[in-house]
Amino acid sequence: MQLLVNIIVLAAIYALISCGYVLIYRVSRVLNLAHGDLMVLGAYLLYTTASLFGGNPVMAVGMALLMGLVVGILVYVLLMRRMTGEMVLAAVLCTIALGVMLHGVTAFIWSGQVRYPIMELGWSNPSLTLFGDARISLASAVLIVTTAIVYVALFGFMGFTRWGIRMRAAGQNPLLASQRGIQLHVVYALAWGLSTFTAGIAGMLISLDSGLYGTMSMLGLKAFPAALVGGLDSLAGALIGSAIIAIAEVLLISYVNPLLTDVVPFAVLLVVLVVRPWGLFGSKEELDRV
Amino acid sequence: MPSTSGYFRVSYSDDIALLDTRTQKYSFAVFCALLLILPFVAKPVIIDLGSQVFLAAIGAVALMLLTGFAGQISLGHAGLMAAGAFTTGILFKEFAAPFWITLPAAACTGAVFGLVFGLPSLRLRGLYLAVSTLGLHFIVVYLGGEYETRRGLSSGILLDPPSLLGWSLTGGLAWYFVLLAFAAGAVIIAINLLRSKTGRAWRALRTNETVAEVMGINVAGHKLLAFVVSSTMTAVAGCLFAYYRSFVSIEAFSLFLSIQYIAMVIIGGTGSILGALLGALLVVLLPYIVEWATAASPWAQNASGRVFAANYAVFGVVMVLFLLFEPQGLVGIWRRIQNYFLLWPFRQTPMSGGR
Amino acid sequence: MKHLRTIAMLTAMSVAPTIWAQDAYVVGLSGVLTGPNADTYAPSIQAVTVYMEQLNKRGGINGKPVRLIVQDNQGNPSKAAADAKKFATQDNAILIVNIGLSSSFGPMVAEATRARIPLLFGGGACPLEVLPPNPHELQFCSASTEINSAGEMAMQFITELSREPVKLGIVAMAIPISRGAMDYADKVAPKYGVSVVRKETIPPATADYTASATALKSAEPNWVYSLAPWVTEVKSFEALRKLGWTGKFLGAALNPTEGELARVKDEGLYVLGPDAFFVENTPAHQEIREAVRNANITYPVTDLVEGWVAAMVIEQSLKGAAWPPTAEKVLASMSNLKVDTRGLRGGPIEWSKTNHIRSKQYYRIYHWNDKKRAVVRVKDWTAFDVK
Repeated sequence: MQLLVNIIVLAAIYALISCGYVLIYRVSRVLNLAHGDLMVLGAYLLYTTASLFGGNPVMAVGMALLMGLVVGILVYVLLMRRMTGEMVLAAVLCTIALGVMLHGVTAFIWSGQVRYPIMELGWSNPSLTLFGDARISLASAVLIVTTAIVYVALFGFMGFTRWGIRMRAAGQNPLLASQRGIQLHVVYALAWGLSTFTAGIAGMLISLDSGLYGTMSMLGLKAFPAALVGGLDSLAGALIGSAIIAIAEVLLISYVNPLLTDVVPFAVLLVVLVVRPWGLFGSKEELDRV
Repeated sequence: MPSTSGYFRVSYSDDIALLDTRTQKYSFAVFCALLLILPFVAKPVIIDLGSQVFLAAIGAVALMLLTGFAGQISLGHAGLMAAGAFTTGILFKEFAAPFWITLPAAACTGAVFGLVFGLPSLRLRGLYLAVSTLGLHFIVVYLGGEYETRRGLSSGILLDPPSLLGWSLTGGLAWYFVLLAFAAGAVIIAINLLRSKTGRAWRALRTNETVAEVMGINVAGHKLLAFVVSSTMTAVAGCLFAYYRSFVSIEAFSLFLSIQYIAMVIIGGTGSILGALLGALLVVLLPYIVEWATAASPWAQNASGRVFAANYAVFGVVMVLFLLFEPQGLVGIWRRIQNYFLLWPFRQTPMSGGR
Repeated sequence: MKHLRTIAMLTAMSVAPTIWAQDAYVVGLSGVLTGPNADTYAPSIQAVTVYMEQLNKRGGINGKPVRLIVQDNQGNPSKAAADAKKFATQDNAILIVNIGLSSSFGPMVAEATRARIPLLFGGGACPLEVLPPNPHELQFCSASTEINSAGEMAMQFITELSREPVKLGIVAMAIPISRGAMDYADKVAPKYGVSVVRKETIPPATADYTASATALKSAEPNWVYSLAPWVTEVKSFEALRKLGWTGKFLGAALNPTEGELARVKDEGLYVLGPDAFFVENTPAHQEIREAVRNANITYPVTDLVEGWVAAMVIEQSLKGAAWPPTAEKVLASMSNLKVDTRGLRGGPIEWSKTNHIRSKQYYRIYHWNDKKRAVVRVKDWTAFDVK
C-alpha cells in the first residue's frame, strides 16, 4: 500500500516537471534541457521571497511564481529568440549551456547549503495517514492535487482559449501560423514563460517537502524520459509516461537494487526509443531533422 | 628534382602530402619545436596543463570525427571514457594486468560499446539519437557504480603507474611526451581517415543520408564505423586518463564531462580537426583562467569560496556566446585572422548588407 | 608571425602564477564546499579559512603568513585526487588537509604518499589508518568522530536509556567510514544484548530516502543508529518519521547538527557529540562568535567548532616547523604534537609516533527537549581509550 502511495507521489512529480518539456517542444520543437535548472531556480526564488516576506507566505509564493514566469519569458527574449531558425541541435545545445550557467549562478548566489523554504514560510509538513497504514506527507499530497489542477488548466488552455489554439497552431506549422497573423515570437515567449512557471511550481513543492539543494536539477533530467515516453508533444502522453516510469522506478528500487534509481528512467527511455521513437502518443514526425 | 613551392604538384606523393608549401612546412617545424622545448623551459604548472590539453584533445578529436564529420550527435562521450577507464581499472584490480594488456583491452571494450551506442543511430537521427546516447551514458555510469559497490570499492580503484621493463611512467615530463605522442597519433589517424574513402563517405552521409544511400555508400555500415572508431579512440583516452590520475572512480564521468567535450567540438568549430584541438585547449584552460582572474581581482577574498560555482557559470556563458555569435567557433576566428594576414594589404570588406 | 602570438601567450601564462609569492607557509585544503553533503564539511572549511585570515592579521606564524589554498572537490574522489596532485606539484604545499567524504580519502592518501607530504583529515570522521599502534606515517586526524569508540558509546547509551530489549536498525552511507561504523556496531551489538534487525546502505548522492526508510521500517526496529554525513542521518530520520515510525534515533553529531536539532524539534533524535555544542557557551565558543562576527561565513556559527579545532591543530603543526618550512619539518612537528582544545572537545589532541588521532576520545549526548524548547545535554563527557 505504501508502495502505491510512493508511486503516485513520484508520478506526480515527474508529471509536473515533464509538462514543461512538452509545452516548449510542442510549440517550438526545441528540447529544453535546462528545465531542471530552471526548476531549481524557481525553488531558490521561493526561498528568497520567503525570507524577505517572512510574515506573509501567500505573498511570498505569489511573488516567486511571478518571478518564475518572468524568468522564462526573459530566457526566451534574450537567448532563445536568436536561435530560432538555426539547427534544432544548436538550440538544444544552447539550452544545455543555459542549464550549466544557471547551475553555476544559483550555486554562486545561494551557496551549496541545504535550504528549507518551508521553515522560512512558517508552514509545517505533517504526515497524513491514508487507508491502511500508508502515509504521505502534506506537501506530497498538495503536490498531487496541484499536478492535477495544472494539467486540467493546461488542457483547458491549449484546447479552448485563443492563445492556446495559437500555440498549437504555431507548433503544427509555424509558417502557416505566421502567415495567418499569429506572432510567433509572442507565442514562443508565452510557451517558455508557462513552462518555467510550471517548473517553478514543481521546484517549490518539491523543496517544501524535502529541502532544497543544488543537485535537484538531476530530478529534472530524470523527468525528461517521462515526457519522451509519452510523446514529446503530448500532454496526456506526459502523464502516462510519468506513471510508467514511476511504477518501474519504485518497483525496481524496492525489489531489486536501490542504486537503480538514476538509471531506470533512461533504460525505459532507450527501450521506447528503439521500439517507438515518437513515444506513445506523440506525433510521428520526420525524425531526421538535425 | 627541384622542390616545388606546392603550387605545382608533379607527383602523387606531392599531391597527398599533408604539408604543401614551404611556409607550411617551416611553420609546422617551428610549432613542433616549440611543443618539444616547452617542457624544459616552463614551470610544472604549464607542463601539467599541456598534458591535460593533450589528453582532452584525444577525446575531442574522437568526438569531432563522430559529430563534426559524420554528423551523429553523441551526448554519451563521458560514458565511453568511463568504459575505457573502468576496463583498465577492473583488469588491474582483478588480474593485476600490465598496461600493454589493458590498453588494447580498453580499445576493444571501446569498440564494443561503440557498436552498442551506434545501434540506435540506425533508426534515429538528430535529437532522438542524442537522447539515446544520453540514456546509454547513464547506463554505463550505473554499471560502473554497480561494480564499485559490489566490490566494496566506493572510493574507487587506485592504479599503479604503467611500467615497462622496470621503467615506470611517473613524473610530469614523461607524461607530457607520452600524451603528446598519443594526441599526435590521434590527429594523424583522424586526418588520414578523413582524407580517405571513409572520410568522404562520412561527409556525404552527414550532408544528406538519402543521397548518400543512392550514391551507393553503405550508410548503416559507415554510421556504425564512425561510432566504433570514435569510441575506440575515446576508450583509449579513458585508459590514459585512468593511468594519468592513477585513480578510477565513477564520479569523474559525469554528464558535465560529456557536455565539456561537446563544448570543445562546438566552440572549436564543427568539421575541423584544428577546431577540436583549439576547443580542447580553451575548455581545459577555462577553469584556470577563471581561478587566476578571481585571484587577481579586487574581490579575491569574498569570491574564493565561490570560484567553483563561477566556473560553471563562465563555462555556460562562453558556450552560449559561441553558439550565438560565433557559430563557426574558434576555427572561424582563426581563419578570419589568417585571411587578414594572407590578404594584407588588401583588406577584405564585406559588401554592405552582405554576410 | 602566428607563432609569436603563441609564444607571447605562453610566456605570459608562465609568469602569471609567480604573482603569488612563495614567502609563506603553503597549506592545501581539498574539501566538500558544494554538493549534497556540503552542509557537513563546508562550515569547517570556512572556519579554517577565517581562522587563518585572523592568524595572518596577528602576524602569522613566526612572522610569516599562512597561505591556505582551498579547492572544492564536491565529494568527488577523482577531483580530490586532482586537487592533491595540484597541491603537490603546482603549489608546493607543505601540508595537505582533507575535509570531506571518506570516499575522497584513498586517492588523496595515494598522492600525499607519493609526494611525501603530511595529510591531515580535519572533517567528519577519522580513517582507520591513524589509529595506534601503527599509524600510517603521513596520515593524521583531528576530525571529531572515531568510529569504534562511537559504536561503543552508542551501544552503551542505547542500552542505558532503553527499558525494553533493543531491536536495532543501522543506516550507513556507501562510503568506507560509514560502512566501517556500521560493521563495527553490528559486531559489538551482541555484547550489549542488542539485536540488529536491519542494515541499510545508502548511495552517496541519493535524493529520496523514502525507499530505504520503508525497508527499514518494515523490520520494526525500536532504535536506529547511524554514523554518516549529516544529510543521510537526518533525512533517514525524517523519512522514517513521515512513515509513522515512533522509535528513537541515535546519530553522530556533525557540523550542522546543533542547528538542525532545533529545526527538527523531535525528542527522539539523539546525537553523540565529540564537539561541545554552543549551548555550553565556554570562553572558546565566545571567541569563535567574536571572530566570525565580521567575517564572510555563510553557515550558522554553531557549525564551526570542528573546523576551529582543525585550524588550531594546523597552527600548532606549522609553528613547530622552523623557517624555511618543508614537508619533512611539518611531519616531524606533527609526529609529536599536543593541542589544548580549550573545552571544545573533551580532552587534548595528542599525537605521537604511535598515535595519530588522540589517546582518549570523549563524547557527550545531546537532544532536543520540548519542555525547555532548547537543545540539552543528556550525558557528559564519557572517555574511551582509542585502540
